[in-house]
Formats: sequence, structure tokens, C-alpha cells
Amino acid sequence: MVLESDIPNFLPWLLDQAWFFVRVVFALFCGSLLFGYLVAAIRNGPAKGLIVTRQVVVTAAVDLLCTSPRRIMALAWLSFKESIGQRLVVAFVLFLLILMFAGWFLDPDSPNPGRLYLSFVLSATNGLVLMLALFLSSFSLPGDIKSRTIYTIVTKPVRRSEIVLGRLLGFTAIGTLLLAATGVLSYVFVVRSLDHTHEIQPSDLSLIEKSGYQPGQKQGQTNYAQKHRHLVTVDGTGNGSTDIQHGHWHEVTRTKSGYELGPPLGVLAARVPIGGRLSFVDREGKQADKGISVGKEWTYRSYIAGSTLATANWQFENLSEKRFSTSEGPPKSLPIALSLSVFRTHKGKIERGVIGSIELRNPDTQLTSRIYTFRVREFVLHEIDIPRRQIDKADPDRAIDIYDDLISDDGRIEVIIRCEEGGQYFGMAQADVYLRSQDASFAVNFFKGYLGIWLQMVIVVALGVMFSTLLSAPVTMMATMASIVMGMFSDYVLELASGPEYGGGPIESLIRLLTQRNMTSPLPPGMMKSMVETGDSAYLFALRVVNFLLPNFSTYSDTDYIVNGFNVPAGLLLQHLLSAAAYLLVVCLIGYLFLKTREVAR
Amino acid sequence: MASKSRSKRKHSAATKPANPKPAAEPIAAVAAEKTAESEVVIETRNLSKVYRDFWGRQKVQALKSLDLEVRKGEIFGLLGPNGSGKTTTIKLLLGLLFPTSGEALVFGTDASDVAKNERIGYLPEESYLYKFLNAEETLDFYGRLFKMSGVERRRRTAELIDKVGLRWARRRPLKEYSKGMTRRIGLAQALINDPDLILLDEPTTGLDPIGIREMKDMLVALRDQGKTLVMCSHLLADVQDVCDRIAILHQGELKELGRVDTLLQLSGETELRIANLSDEAQQEIKAVIERDGAKLISSKNPTTTLEDLFLEIVRDSEARPGRRAKGKST
Ligand SMILES: Nc1ncnc2c1ncn2[C@@H]1O[C@H](COP(=O)(O)OP(=O)(O)OP(=O)(O)O)[C@@H](O)[C@H]1O
Ligand SMILES: [Mg+2]
Repeated sequence: MVLESDIPNFLPWLLDQAWFFVRVVFALFCGSLLFGYLVAAIRNGPAKGLIVTRQVVVTAAVDLLCTSPRRIMALAWLSFKESIGQRLVVAFVLFLLILMFAGWFLDPDSPNPGRLYLSFVLSATNGLVLMLALFLSSFSLPGDIKSRTIYTIVTKPVRRSEIVLGRLLGFTAIGTLLLAATGVLSYVFVVRSLDHTHEIQPSDLSLIEKSGYQPGQKQGQTNYAQKHRHLVTVDGTGNGSTDIQHGHWHEVTRTKSGYELGPPLGVLAARVPIGGRLSFVDREGKQADKGISVGKEWTYRSYIAGSTLATANWQFENLSEKRFSTSEGPPKSLPIALSLSVFRTHKGKIERGVIGSIELRNPDTQLTSRIYTFRVREFVLHEIDIPRRQIDKADPDRAIDIYDDLISDDGRIEVIIRCEEGGQYFGMAQADVYLRSQDASFAVNFFKGYLGIWLQMVIVVALGVMFSTLLSAPVTMMATMASIVMGMFSDYVLELASGPEYGGGPIESLIRLLTQRNMTSPLPPGMMKSMVETGDSAYLFALRVVNFLLPNFSTYSDTDYIVNGFNVPAGLLLQHLLSAAAYLLVVCLIGYLFLKTREVAR
Repeated sequence: MASKSRSKRKHSAATKPANPKPAAEPIAAVAAEKTAESEVVIETRNLSKVYRDFWGRQKVQALKSLDLEVRKGEIFGLLGPNGSGKTTTIKLLLGLLFPTSGEALVFGTDASDVAKNERIGYLPEESYLYKFLNAEETLDFYGRLFKMSGVERRRRTAELIDKVGLRWARRRPLKEYSKGMTRRIGLAQALINDPDLILLDEPTTGLDPIGIREMKDMLVALRDQGKTLVMCSHLLADVQDVCDRIAILHQGELKELGRVDTLLQLSGETELRIANLSDEAQQEIKAVIERDGAKLISSKNPTTTLEDLFLEIVRDSEARPGRRAKGKST
């Protein structure tokens, strides 16, 4: 899930990346210098080549220094004007059509329709915008060179860098327009599609006779709408709420004539999780770094045994009442979310789940809360709201307040989880339990998701412009498309590049195939073997370089967060912005060098 | 006959001051002469261009060791048959192409220097403009590429649209323009920055007779403002009308270079127009002239037309290929 990857600390990350960036730019500089000199030397001889190279470096420096925002803006305006017409309208109409027919395929009966709708609009927008960016950027510059309109541009005091940047800016503006339009449309679409309410008649509600409920509480079923109904619980005053169905619930209020349900709540959320540090206590009650291993399971999770002294303890820091306050004021509870895995040594009642318990403890005073039990269904996210005020176990006359008494003065609290059934085990990793602080605004989070798409779009535009400085339009499009596709699967490419464990690289594998050798027996030593190995490692190195040059689209995409209802952390967004900016800088620089060293009049 | 007159002409070029200039010489030409030594605007040294294909194989040698000098305040004409390298020369001067060898200097700096473009205007062979813009937007856009205030840009845009006679069509997108109209807006675009050096690739093609007249007047007027113009054209009458000096290229080689008036003089022949001459005297015409008894109205070297000269050079060069005019300049 989203939270499994920790977001590294910002400053060390920044320093690390900045140092990396400097090295990359330096390597690029030296590489292109060497390459440029080689080309110049082949054309003009070694001595003249040196002069030519020097001249190019000097003029490039002057170009970059003299790059004028005024001319960039003029060229950006031109690119904007060039593509503002039909293409943008076509793209927008296409999106409208997609949304119109989406209703046929998106099933509101799914267990989490919010997730479904969000992932649909986000991926549709992403695809459409990247397509538009691809088309705009691949055809523009080659078109200008082919129609020779570029002659009237480069014979003005226009630097080649301005041509690259102007296009980048112009097409980014177009893409931004489309993205803004589709964004607003998508938002309205998602909210409208999910919006619904139910009805309940006073006669549908009946008093609850069971123990554990306060007097006057009533319960009943709503009518059937959007392919589900809710169980309503109201208190003596007639106000209350429904249960959670399809990822949402409704507020219930008493009106003169009966009851009224509000809009769906909780579907479009931007949860802000606060993660903690996990430690274990083993079955004898001693501190341990890890729980026990239950064998051939994923080692990511550690396990605690049921009905023993074993516990899993999370320590949370920097808490305060303010972080949990809601729009209605100070918090009435402490929301804890958990998704645990279960390992059973006997079957039990599968559908009933395994009982676990949760306890809060003040790490300074060691004061503990009551023990709350819950049933774990495996890998389902449980959200447990622990009421703020409760009676002290030890002293029934005393009340405990979570925020005042259980959170220590420096803002720490311990959450202790036990498995209450003997012979069953709970598995957990650090990210599996978090406190849910005050939600962020969903609209803002939605916007953040679009920012991620926007970054991808800008990168596609930049790649398109870069390739188009050298290649013809169709070739540019293919090259850009290839980069996008490989960028999408860059994790997989990296896996390829890190080399297979058995059987060697492609050449070695081929030899094994032809000589019918098995995967593990070593090749006979000698010339042949070392040649094969050199070839293979060169290939792997090339793969690694290519993978490095490709944009890592999957990292820029924050849709996972939005779709799963988590707030995109600001630090992560900033990281994406910065690394995208660095990538863009390098791409633009390469595009500039290409354009600088080519004759535009061919 | 042709080759005879040619040799005579050459002779005259060597002994230049044989004939005094007619008094009616245009003032501007004199002005051009005066500044002749002062400022060199364009200089090419040994400029050569080989077009290569994708694999670096030689396709065409478009220009061979061109040496040229264009000075401030003159109209310089580049002549030559199709494919002789005129456009190539202009592109090299603009830095649109890189020379294979040799140098092209404009305003004393290398042609690939971008800063020089502040002072240059270029009218391409065909007007390569953005078809989705209208005349005003086009000029405004190109104006933005120069250091020019908004007010000045608008003033200059309006002024140039009037000057090229497109006021009535200034709001129409260029894709609706006729060839001549496109040519006109192309010229306006070349003049947006009030350039000191203007390079025009066949400026009169596509224009109607009035347009051609206006274009030529405009070129001369620009020259009279002290601007330098380089143009290439096939329309020899136009070249003869406006150019101060010409170079004739053939298959990438410079064949002829010099002042138009000098090149067209046939110094071995004399043309007399005499009035009130009796029949007897007519037979004794040489004696009469020797004795200075008759009234001599005019005596000058007859001129050939540029067309004759052009055809002769091209034919001659085809018969005996090789460089001829190297280093010769006026
Ligand atoms: N891009 C190019 N690739 C290859 N050869 C070219 C290219 N452009 C021009 N040439 C060749 O270079 C030579 C000179 O061409 P150029 O365009 O300079 O002629 P020109 O004098 O302007 O002719 P025209 O009067 O027809 O305009 C010709 O042989 C032409 O075929
Ligand atoms: Mg030409």
C-alpha cells in the first residue's frame, strides 16, 4: 500500500540529490565535450577541431547567459497560438465522451466506488494529457523545419535555447489548460456520481432491547439506493449516523416529519496518517526487536502469538490535540487505523475473524486506557475510534482523557496490540497501524494528484521537444512514446539491468540455448567466456544508463494516494517538483545542444 | 562577336578612367563610391559549401571558394542560373548553414553569431511565415523578438503594413493571402527591426508590375537611407535598375564581379549622335571630328544590356569551366 514506502527526510534527500545532480551535469558536460570534439576533429582535423569546440562552448555559454524571457514568451505565445485551435478542442471533446460512456462501465455496486471513480478519472486524464503532450511536442519543431518557417525565427536575434524553452512553455500552457478543464470536470463528475442519499421512515426504526446500548437508541434499515442500504442508529434525540457501506456513511438528523440522511461522507477523503515506531514484546514479556517468524511468509511482517504476553507496541510522537481536531472543534476520539495479517494454526471461524485488543499507554506515567477488542479480518483496513473520555479501570470515580492524560507532555503515546485467541497469530509491519489525524481537504488533494499528472506532462513535452530538435516528426513521436512506455516500466527495466541470477546475460543465455547447456553449469573458461561476459556486462551497463535517462513516471504519479484516500504529503510533492525540475533542466540542455549544432536549413 | 566585346570590356576595366562619368550619374551611386573604402559589411573568405547526405557522403558542391566584399550603403546583386548557389550564399551569411570551409563575416563577426541578427533583415525565397497568424500578429510577433518597446512595435507594425500596401487585409490570416500578398508581408517582416543590412532572396517574384516598381523604389530608398542590401534575382532588368554592384555565380563559382555600370560598358566602341551634319561632312566624319568642326552632342561608350552580359558569361563558362573573376573587385 501507499504507506509502506517511507518518505525520506527532506533535507538529507535534497543534499543527496543535489550532489547527484551536480555529478550528472558534470558527466554530461564532459561527455558532450568529448563527443563534440571527436565530431569536430573528424570533420576539421584535430587542431581545428579544438578551436571549433572551444568556440561552441563559448557561444553556448553566451547563449545561456543571454537567454531572454521576453523572446521565450514570444515564442511560447506562438506555440500556444499554433495549437490552441482544433487539437485542444478534440482532446477535450474526447474526454467528455469518455466521461459520458464511463457511467456504463463503472459499477456503483463495487465495494469502494469512490476508489473506482477516482482511479478511472485520474488514469483517463493522465493518458489523454500525455497523448496531447506527445502530439503537440513531436510535430511542432520538425514541422517548422520542414515548412522552413524556422528560417524567419533563427535569423532574428533568437537563441536556440529560447526556441527550446519557448516551445516547452507554450505546450505546457496548452496542456495546463486541458488539465484544468478536465480536472474540474472530473471533480464534478466524481462528486456527482457518488452523491446520493437514502430515506428512512420513523416506522422503520425500532428500539434496541439489547444490553450495551443506551436507552432510547433506535435502529433500522434505510431504503435501497445506489445498490446498497445502510443500518441507521439514532440516539434519544433522534440524531445519529449510518454504518459504513461501500466506503461511506451518512449523517442522520431528526426533522419535523421524520428523519433525513445527509450526503455520503468519508468516500472522498484525504486521510493524514501519523506513523509510529514498532517494537515487540515476546511471549515471555521481554522487549524484542522483532516478533516471531511463521516460516515461509513474507519477511516484511513479524508475528505475535495469541493469548501470550506477546504484544506489538507502536510509539507515536509529536502528537497534540490540535492535530486531531475536526471542523467541529476539539477531537471527541482518537482514530486508529490498522490492517493486520492473520496466521492461523487452526481454522477457527474464518468469516468471524480473530479477536484482537488495543490498549493505549502514556510512556511517561505508564497510565493505561481500557482495553478495546476488535475482530481482525485479514488485510481489511479497520478504523477504530477510541472515545476521548473514559472511566479509569483502577479508579471508577476518575475519568481519563486521552489527550490530557495518555499523551505525554512531549506528545508521545504508546499503542499496544495483542492477539486474544490462543493458537492464532497477528502479523504486522511498521506501516500497518497509524493514527488518523485531522483530514486534509479532499479538493486540495485531488489538485495535488493533478499536479503529479502535470509534472508527467511537462516531462513528456520536454522529451518531445528534445527529440524533435534532431529527428523528424514521426521518429520523434516514436522515440518519445518509447521513452514514456519504458519510463512507465522503469522499475522492470531496472530489474533487467541488475542482471539475472542464473544463466548470465542475453549473450550467455543464447550460447546456453544453442549448446543446450543448463542454467547453472559454468561456461568453459577461456577467450570465449570472457568475451561473452564482457559483452553481457556492456549490455547490462547500457540498460542501466538507458534506465537512468528515462523519466521515472511511476514516481511522479501520486494517484495511489488519492485513490486510496490518503493525503499526498507536501514533502513528497516538493521532492517530485524538484526532481522533475532537475530532469527538465538536463533534457532542455540536451535539446539545446542538439539544436545548436545542427543546420536548420536542410 | 560576344567574346570580342567581352575582351574589350575587360580592357576598359583595367584602364578605368578613360571615360569621364556622365553628369547624370545617380547621387546615391556616388555616395556608395565615397564610402566604398570605409566600411565592409559582409566579407567572405574562401567560402565553400558541400551538401552531404545523411551518411556524410558528398552530394553537391554548392559553393566553391567564394571571396566577396559588400560595403555599407550599396545594393549588391547576386546573379546566376538556377542552382548556382545564390540561396546557399545567403543562408551561409545568415548562419542557417555552416560553411564546409572558409569564413563568412557579417559586421565583422562570424555569421553564426546570433547578436548580429539585431541589425539584419531577411526576406526568404518564399515567405516562410506562420499561416495561422494575421498580418498584424505576424509583425507584432517578429517585433517581440527584438529589443523594442510595445509602443514602438505597434507604431512600426502599422507603418510597415501601410508601406507594403496590406492595410485592407491586415486582419486576415496569412493562409488566405495570395502569393504577392505573402511576399509583401514577408518584406514587412524583414524590415520590422529597421535593419542596417537586408538580405533579399528574389524579392520581386510573385509581385505585379506595380508591386515590382514599388519594391524597387523601396530598395533604392532604403539604400539612400544608408542601408546595405544584398539581393539575388533572375529578373535582370530589375537588377540592372537597382544594383550598384553585382556578382555572377555559375555552378557555385564566382564568374564576374563589379560595378554594374562598368561591367556594362563597351569601351572599344564609340557612339556618336551628331546634328546638322551635311552629306559631304558625313563622309569626312573622322576628319571633321579631328578638326573639331562639327558640334559633338554626345560621345560615350555604348552599353550592352545585363541580359546579354549574363547570357554571354554563362555560355562562356559552360564552354570553358574554371574560375575567372577571383580577386577582381571594383
Ligand atoms: N538542402 C540541400 N541539400 C542538397 N543540395 C542542395 C540543398 N540545397 C541546395 N542544394 C544544391 O545546391 C546547389 C545550389 O543551390 P541554391 O539553392 O543555392 O541555388 P540558387 O542559386 O538559389 O538557385 P535558384 O535560382 O533556383 O533559387 C544546387 O545544386 C542545389 O541542388
Ligand atoms: Mg535560390
